[in-house]
Amino acid sequence: MTNVASAVLLTGACVAVLASQGHPLRAQAPSAGPTADAVIASYCVTCHNARTRTGDLSLEGFALAHLADGSRSEVGEKVLRRLRAGSMPPPGVRRPDAAVLRTVESEMVAALDGAELRNPQPGRALLRRLNRAEYANAIRDLLALEVDASALVPPDNAAFGFDNIAEVLGVSPSLQERYLSAAESVAALAVGDTAAPAEEHTYTIRQDVSQDTHLDGLPFGTLGGARIRHTFPLDGEYEFQVRLYRSNLGMMRGLQLLHPFELAVDGAPVHAATVGGAADLDAAFDKPTDAGDAIDRRLSTRARVSAGPRDVTLAFTEVAAPLDTVRLRPFLKSAQDTLDWTGRPHIQSVTIRGPFGATRPGDTPSRRRLFSCRPGPGLSETACARQILSALARRAYRQPVAPSDMRRVMAMYAEGRREGTFESGVQRALQFVLASPRFIFRAEHEPAGAPGGRFRIDDLELASQLSFFLWSSIPDDALLQAATRGQLAEPRTLEAQVRRMLADPRASAIVTNFVGQWLQLRNIRTLQPNSDDFPDFDDNLRTAFRRETELLFQSLIDEDRSVLDLLTADYTFVNERLARHYGIPGVYGSDFRRVPVPDERRRGVLGHGGILAITSHATRTSPVLRGKWVLENVLGSPPPPPPPNVPALKENEKGRPARTMREQLAEHRANPACASCHRIMDPIGFALENFDPVGAWRATEGGRPIDASGELADGAVVDGVVGLRQALLQRPERFVGAMVEKLMIYALGRGLTHHDMPAVRQIVRDAAAQQYRFSALVLGVVRSTPFQTRTRTLAPAASHRAE
Amino acid sequence: MTWITRARVDRRRVLRGLGAAVALPLLDAMVPAATALAQTPALPRRRFGAVFIPNGAIMEQWTPAGAGEGFDLSPTLAPLAPHRASLAVVTNLTRANPGVVEGDHAISAAGWLSGVYPKRTEAEDVRNGTTIDQALAAVIGQQTPFPSLELATTDFTGYVGACTSGFSCAYTNTISWSSPTTPLPMEINPRVVFERMFGRPGTDEERARRRTRTRSILDLVREQAVELQGNLGPADRGRLSDYLDNVREIERRIQRTEQFNAGQVRSMDLPIGIPESFEEHLGLMYDLLTVAWQTDLTRVFTFMTDRELSQRTYPWIGVTEQHHTVSHHGNDPANIEKVATINAYHAAQFARFLDRLRQTPDGDGSLLDHALIVYGGGMGNPNQHASDPLPIVAVGGALGARSRHLLLPRRTPVGNLWLTVAQRFGAEVPSFGDSTGTIDLF
Repeated sequence: MTNVASAVLLTGACVAVLASQGHPLRAQAPSAGPTADAVIASYCVTCHNARTRTGDLSLEGFALAHLADGSRSEVGEKVLRRLRAGSMPPPGVRRPDAAVLRTVESEMVAALDGAELRNPQPGRALLRRLNRAEYANAIRDLLALEVDASALVPPDNAAFGFDNIAEVLGVSPSLQERYLSAAESVAALAVGDTAAPAEEHTYTIRQDVSQDTHLDGLPFGTLGGARIRHTFPLDGEYEFQVRLYRSNLGMMRGLQLLHPFELAVDGAPVHAATVGGAADLDAAFDKPTDAGDAIDRRLSTRARVSAGPRDVTLAFTEVAAPLDTVRLRPFLKSAQDTLDWTGRPHIQSVTIRGPFGATRPGDTPSRRRLFSCRPGPGLSETACARQILSALARRAYRQPVAPSDMRRVMAMYAEGRREGTFESGVQRALQFVLASPRFIFRAEHEPAGAPGGRFRIDDLELASQLSFFLWSSIPDDALLQAATRGQLAEPRTLEAQVRRMLADPRASAIVTNFVGQWLQLRNIRTLQPNSDDFPDFDDNLRTAFRRETELLFQSLIDEDRSVLDLLTADYTFVNERLARHYGIPGVYGSDFRRVPVPDERRRGVLGHGGILAITSHATRTSPVLRGKWVLENVLGSPPPPPPPNVPALKENEKGRPARTMREQLAEHRANPACASCHRIMDPIGFALENFDPVGAWRATEGGRPIDASGELADGAVVDGVVGLRQALLQRPERFVGAMVEKLMIYALGRGLTHHDMPAVRQIVRDAAAQQYRFSALVLGVVRSTPFQTRTRTLAPAASHRAE
Repeated sequence: MTWITRARVDRRRVLRGLGAAVALPLLDAMVPAATALAQTPALPRRRFGAVFIPNGAIMEQWTPAGAGEGFDLSPTLAPLAPHRASLAVVTNLTRANPGVVEGDHAISAAGWLSGVYPKRTEAEDVRNGTTIDQALAAVIGQQTPFPSLELATTDFTGYVGACTSGFSCAYTNTISWSSPTTPLPMEINPRVVFERMFGRPGTDEERARRRTRTRSILDLVREQAVELQGNLGPADRGRLSDYLDNVREIERRIQRTEQFNAGQVRSMDLPIGIPESFEEHLGLMYDLLTVAWQTDLTRVFTFMTDRELSQRTYPWIGVTEQHHTVSHHGNDPANIEKVATINAYHAAQFARFLDRLRQTPDGDGSLLDHALIVYGGGMGNPNQHASDPLPIVAVGGALGARSRHLLLPRRTPVGNLWLTVAQRFGAEVPSFGDSTGTIDLF
């Protein structure tokens, strides 16, 4: 730590010197000229010269002065990235010793940072459409209404690894139509429109959910089933139609025994039935389809439910385990495709349809939120509507509402009122607010001035940028108020707001949206390991994988821990299913709990099953994918795409001795076109070879012991995950830098340019002094120039060029 | 507990006509019933569709032996045998920049219908070409409520980072572009497609009222967008004018829907959502396309049966390896066979769609008689991401009765196919993408 701290101080000092003197090189190396120039000339130009242009790069005539004057900053950043990752000069080629490389690095950093400090060039103002997640969260915060956004608006294109990138959040007629019709549905649901037609929603349980155990969130004493969060639009009667899974022969599972079934809404039973027994079994053998349909009908019911969001649970009550079926349970997964092991029925889906005979909207959270007043003596309908709608529009538009906008909102109210009641007027106005471009787009305006000049975004725009960064949602009243009063320019207020927001439950959006994409946790749900090789793998494990990493990251936010804990944490979160997968004893039940991880090999995300599985193929591990994942997400130095005409690895052939993955990849690396990158990627992946394609520990593969050793690009020799982690953390600023880059992309909603890199490094340096606490990274991003300022573009693109 | 909501559709309920509404009494009033034939105009309509398959094809098993009319259907295309009378296998087309494999999967999806090599960029300034479906929509799609429909099956949000590096994901997520800079999003949810086509539940009057409301909301939306445009930078001002163009397009659509409402045909029930089974999902999307043509809601569609780079496994036909992984077959016969199995599977699903089109009457013939459907993709041998020859088949009555294997000179630009199609459909364009001329298709 001391080393890191002093290195930071040193670099920090360089920047200060640069800023004051403007003669960086003299200050840095008074006599002999910069080390960088000499090293690049003698080590890099051999390959990267004007003639060979290896990797499409020539460094001939390169001088540090070109970084200081900003003329070759872009190339400089590329070189620096390779140096930092230790991937250049490449393995097997002559390289200077580490201390010299460090000097080159710090000279380059000083020159690049100084140039940007003298002449900062932040990005331009951007117009951002709310993406799907932001839309749902905005509805939640505006109207106290939980909606399933995936049913309302389409998914968004992603770029730079994230789906909130302004430039690719396009508009098209079909997309705008979806936002229009979403506005209509949401407004009807929020107000409780009694004229709205009945609807139906079907919730399906994936076929590979093991339903022979208690599932998280369901009442104790139950097995399998599901808990569904459903918003009932009105007080009324609803139909619940339940279906059980059937085999490919049309048979339901577990009919040999009696299974009591229960359907409950918010814990109160609304329907009970029994499945199985001699009569059902006979009927099923006689006419499987008819018998199955009859059983499904028996599980279905109609019941009165009060409006609002409710937990619908459906499951079987646990009865004494049928012993003979327990004996016949070879795998943790309770059903192998359509075959049955466990003697338990499995629920496939529930359809909720209604309301029928609804006359009242009911007392729902969204109505309580929305109707802050009621017309009556002393308060006219119009005055009350204005009160409700001005507050609503202010939150939805994230700024004080302009008179012209208020006029439009009230015009819609009047139109709705003419056709119906006071409430229909409010509903119509709400529908307009949700359909309006001021809600759907986040705009940053450009103040008048010279093109190419810089300006700070205004406080309201800053407030929005902050809340969409930390909450993926609209600002709350407290933040809007601070912005309206112009207090966000005050550093202490800004910090206090950030800390308040991080402590808010809404900050879990960072986990679902930022981490979900950065670490690719969102891909866990599409994992499909070959079921012949991994017969235990079920959706329960899939879900647990994702939860584990999410909970670890959430704990970093909640306890404001060092982000290095992501790689080193000596604790994790497991339930019984995941604990069995990892071999952690003494964990029972479906709920997640924090457990110590005494086994160093399992510590941090490199030991998380989800990460190890999404970087594997269906039938085998992929040291390449794992190496690439680490290079990109931990070292911030993604390898270039593979060259064309690369044959895939050959599977082991029958009758021949099986080759290990290592032997197979060695064939691959024998090709010089592949070697330059694979010598960097593969050893990282090899170190993780003790984890199989679903992240379980293994000592052998194909009967041979696993060899997890290898030489990393910078010459460090590692054997296994523990050594790999140590090597990666040798220079923690590399990992933190990689993370800050991703955090910046996500916070800004755009890709980074070389102009942003000095800010990234500044954030990392500042955070080092605070042990890389998560809040230090976030505050660093929020305070940075790219976050708060923009370059003016009002003139044509020419203004992009350097002044 | 967090879990994925999916829905399953009972295929037995699909395409059973009016009687099937029993299961969904509420939705009965959704679409006014009318008989199909009585409402069918006497003049046959011209229709165009494009069905895309990802990750290339094993060309040795795709390309028929022999040329001209006396060819033998290949193993992969064998399922298309019942439609041989109006089928042309077009061999030796290439995507733009033949031999260049950089951008591979992105070019396969984006460049297939455009004949253009899209610009290499991660985010800003995506640039492709207008695709043939959109060029035709401008000619034959203007009388119908929807100029075109764009459908797909893959929810790409579960594939973070699965795009060709250096190329925006927009190139991989859609095959349809309405202008060189506007990728059209593809819809994967059958229920959403259905509701877009037939409206949400409600009586005629309710839906008429809803249209009126939407119109007055759009008026104010337009006002507000113009106001918002005022203080933006030039690039964002441009994006808001796209937005305003779309508002006008939606208004036109509402108007066309009103004229159209007089005689709708109903032959399908409201689907519940995205089925868990891929085969059901494919079948349902094909059903929706059939109904869309049958009701004349649109005359142009694109359908991406799966996404480039797809890692879908097909265990029910014996392929447990991931599609993209196994497509880099390394010339291993076992792997090649697996890819060919997937290719033949998709051809079989497509053939079932053609069956349905042929069974659906339209004027003096069937839907298939008055259509041209192009089936294939923008990548040849997937092992090396080959730019050519591309797997492409054209089918439908628009070809006349000229069934044949059209063996073109090696590396004929795919733009030549699209130029030929465009001219046949009356689009007055001198060239298309990288076209150098036309081919002898019709």
